[in-house]
Amino acid sequence: MKNDIRTLRAARGWSQAHLAELLDVSRQTVIAIETGRYDPSLPLAFALARLFGQPIDTIFFPDQETA
Amino acid sequence: MHEKRVARAYRFELWTSIAVYAVLLAGSIRFGRPLADGPLRTVVLLLPMIGFGLMIRAIARHVARIDEYQRLRMLESVALAFAITAAVTFSYGFLETAGFPKLSMFSVWIVMGASWGLVNLVRGMVGRRTVES
Repeated sequence: MKNDIRTLRAARGWSQAHLAELLDVSRQTVIAIETGRYDPSLPLAFALARLFGQPIDTIFFPDQETA
Repeated sequence: MHEKRVARAYRFELWTSIAVYAVLLAGSIRFGRPLADGPLRTVVLLLPMIGFGLMIRAIARHVARIDEYQRLRMLESVALAFAITAAVTFSYGFLETAGFPKLSMFSVWIVMGASWGLVNLVRGMVGRRTVES
């Protein structure tokens, strides 16, 4: 799963540590999500969507569309 | 910061449990060993395990406090450490058959702790290299 979190975060001038604090997760978790090494759970994905004020499907998108 | 808050709470609870263990251990050695054999002596000699109970509680609370990604990483590391421990202890079991000295069961825990440390070290190094590249 790919995502636009790095771009959205940068647009707000937030550091990874600040985003982690807002989400109440570790900075390592933010890094893992941004680099695509970890796909967050639905609750965390919804928390990200709420934070950025965007629907989930505009933040996360599959690497390749399946049938 | 989330990880610092979590680590601080864990350290406090873990060191409290270790302190309880140490105090009860000293007490059980001082007062339990001289007692005559019987249920009271058995209970007094087992008292340090209350500290162990608190340690299990501290670990359970820590696992509940860490976030989902850290929990996944911990599970992966523990699973790998578990497998390495099995490999090392089985190998040494064969070596004992070949004439190596018999070791205490306590050494299994040391192997498990060392394996977990090694797994975390290697994964940390690999992770840093991945982030840098």
